[in-house]
Amino acid sequence: METKKKYVMVIDTQKCFDCKACTIACKMENNVADNSQEYRNWVETGEICGTFPNLTQKFIPGQCNHCTNAPCEKVCPTSATYRNEDGLIMIDAEKCIVCKYCMVACPYDARFVSTTRHVVDKCDFCYDRIKIGELPACVQTCPPKTRTFGDLNDPNSEVSKLLKNREYKVLKPETGAEPNVFYL
Amino acid sequence: MKNLSRREFLRRTSLSALVLAFASSGIPVLFSEETKIAATTKGKKYVYTSCEICVNKCGLKAHVENGRIVRLEPNPHFPKSRGMVCARGNAGARVPYSADRLKFPLVRVGERGENKWRKANWDEALKIVGENLNKVVETQKNRSAVMFASTEGFQEEFFKTFAEAFGSYNVVRHPTLCLASNIQGFSAVLGTYPDADIKNANYVIFCGSNRLEALITPDSIDLLKTGNKKIVTLDPRFTKTAAKSGEWLPIKVGTDLAFALAMINVLINEELYDKKFVEEKTFGFEELKNHVKNYTPEWAEKETEIPAETIRRIATEFAENAPKSVYYPGRRSSFSKNDAELRRAIAMVNALVGNFNAKGGLVQSLSIPLKKVEFEPVWYDDNAEERLEAGTVQFLTESSGAWLPFRDAVLKGEPYPVKAMVTYKTNPVASVPNRKKTLEMMKKMDFIAVIDTEMSDTAYFADVILPESTYLERWDPAHVLSGIEPVVTFRQPVIEPLYDTKSCLEIMQGLVKTCGLETNPFDYTIQNYIKTQVENYEGAYEKLLETAVFIPENLPNPYGERPIKTQTQKIEFYSEKYLSKGLNPMPTYEKPGEIPDGKFKFVVGRHAFFTHSSTNLDYLNTIMNQNTLWINTKAAERLGIKNNDLVLVKSAVGEGKLNAFVTEGIRPDTVFFIHGFGSVSKGLSKTYGVGASESEILEDHYEPISGNALLHETIVQVEKVRG
Repeated sequence: METKKKYVMVIDTQKCFDCKACTIACKMENNVADNSQEYRNWVETGEICGTFPNLTQKFIPGQCNHCTNAPCEKVCPTSATYRNEDGLIMIDAEKCIVCKYCMVACPYDARFVSTTRHVVDKCDFCYDRIKIGELPACVQTCPPKTRTFGDLNDPNSEVSKLLKNREYKVLKPETGAEPNVFYL
Repeated sequence: MKNLSRREFLRRTSLSALVLAFASSGIPVLFSEETKIAATTKGKKYVYTSCEICVNKCGLKAHVENGRIVRLEPNPHFPKSRGMVCARGNAGARVPYSADRLKFPLVRVGERGENKWRKANWDEALKIVGENLNKVVETQKNRSAVMFASTEGFQEEFFKTFAEAFGSYNVVRHPTLCLASNIQGFSAVLGTYPDADIKNANYVIFCGSNRLEALITPDSIDLLKTGNKKIVTLDPRFTKTAAKSGEWLPIKVGTDLAFALAMINVLINEELYDKKFVEEKTFGFEELKNHVKNYTPEWAEKETEIPAETIRRIATEFAENAPKSVYYPGRRSSFSKNDAELRRAIAMVNALVGNFNAKGGLVQSLSIPLKKVEFEPVWYDDNAEERLEAGTVQFLTESSGAWLPFRDAVLKGEPYPVKAMVTYKTNPVASVPNRKKTLEMMKKMDFIAVIDTEMSDTAYFADVILPESTYLERWDPAHVLSGIEPVVTFRQPVIEPLYDTKSCLEIMQGLVKTCGLETNPFDYTIQNYIKTQVENYEGAYEKLLETAVFIPENLPNPYGERPIKTQTQKIEFYSEKYLSKGLNPMPTYEKPGEIPDGKFKFVVGRHAFFTHSSTNLDYLNTIMNQNTLWINTKAAERLGIKNNDLVLVKSAVGEGKLNAFVTEGIRPDTVFFIHGFGSVSKGLSKTYGVGASESEILEDHYEPISGNALLHETIVQVEKVRG
């Protein structure tokens, strides 16, 4: 489905220092329950690798990738998971029967059973905010601005410029899901 | 958080158990629909104010719906916080709704620490405090027999003013648990405690300042956000700052001064210093040159365990990037017995490359003068001559005191007894090293009153607890955050108080009456007070109401030529002032004590999602719900300790049990755990009895120049309890 907008998230992991601001801001904005199994976004704290004193550690922010070829959308038996007019993968709470097929299908482990919304929830790029021209909560709150959000169909957007000028990759390209979260 | 995948979790846990476990964890609906704000603001609104979770006071734009806080967003008008709110600031939205809040005044009915209380109304509670403070003054014939303890905060000025009006010299504040030695050392050399211009710097050396976990705005934000800087981190522990640095040097605890002196040696001997700057702006260069002769990189290698070649290379790189290179003035890492000396040496390294007041270097803070609201002090005949701990350290700050020598003096009862204690926004039981001594000190008190928002470890042992409204429920005075980009901010209520609580000002206004003071310093409303503070700036009050930010036009340029506020009006490599006090005129190395075989140095530190007792806050506690002991893989193996084993950590003064985190990310002779756990108060539901307490095991050594507590002089042993 061609859409007018193509919203993407570009993540510069070099900047991320694992402060968890994005996770907490998201929980507040989207009323995600305060427990360690429910979160729409996260920062994966990598293991400390190597042998003292030659060590490295990575911090990788993650969330729903709003895949162009979304596995979760395909397996949903009730069409509760659908693509909206702006190309985002959304959830119709009325239709969701919490069968969890989508949780198993998602290559990014981005979906969870929400005890506040009673659906299998996930990131919606803060759709209520972007509709009125605000940034997603995680992007807005991030201290070093690790995340950049925007419309890839707009050649003048920050995300278009970043993906034009910098090298990037996506996670798990082999699944064919065509994710829309890009890592610099 | 993301250690167990959710699909994995799905396999292990049935959904019904999940729902049962978490259904009750929702936020209780405590907000009364009848309060004024709710009644007038149905629907959505935004209120600008500032954060209080840590020292930075970042700008907030509070999103409120039907009188309830939804979220605390970054305030885009607030330059210092660079348009961000960290995890703690975000979680602050739940502070007013915390189940552990103190909701009304409490009067103790059982023994101290028995957690038996009765509810009191404000009139009664304030009367009890007033009567008891007066009783101590009468029996001791000494107004300074009442001590006042507090920590920085916008309303602290009212608390300090009350102490002054009451007539006690004994206000004990937080600097000697914090930056006192740092400020002392830098001021001795540069005449100021400067800011680091991280935004414009190209080369940054951190001496343990863990800027990506101990967040300081704007430094922490600028570090990775702007430019491509080389970061060098010296730290016994592989912090997240180390993880993001170009180079991590696991320096031996307590030897940072050797590294700094060797840098000075290289800069001078290899003529890498800024000759024109040194000639024009500094005092005592020839003496310093002679003094550091033997402080070679080869000598420093033996002390620090950092190769001489590395030290030489870093000194060279530092000079090459000057003046856009900074040896960061921040805290931690050392806090060893030579700390003030270390800070002097770091200031000198900076000065040698001429980065003072240069773009990308160390810059004297700019401030914005506010009008002070004066009052008529009263002279009391019944008073001591001076502060309790006067004369115990070389440079004692009269207005803040020094916690450790102060506490020792209370315990001895000399030179005079201190018999009552009033605290505001401070928690000495959890924050002052050697908890047993603090509890002993409190036993010496005839009366203890605590002002706080939760049942802290200190409140737990109080006689009367006066609950303060949280920072989102009250007005706070205008406050200047000085720096390279200074700003005036304040607080206005985002919501009405949820419970029967008061602001510190209202509490002090009440105590003036119940103590029967002959002077009233608080004859104003908070709004009038703020108006007076900013009355020299047209439209400033309105600007604050509108955006919580005021920055006057035409601020001076922070860079370039500015007067140096030392005795010689030059940067002092050689200090006559130190010499006159019998101290070393130039920083002189003293070897740290050896770590006995099989034992460890204990170091302190931060995680970016906690400030002190915010470990007890919803959402933050979920990120990390207990502390763990960082111990090196080889050391753990030697002791038969595996990851997650329960271990006992024991120092000369105390002990604690917690799980081990076995890692390559710490020196084999060093261990670490975060503070804010192992609480003794049953009122802190998430941290009571969970993990180990830092104040329990820290030994109470202090630095003799500034009185700063030495947080890195504790030796511990570690034993496995069970697997």
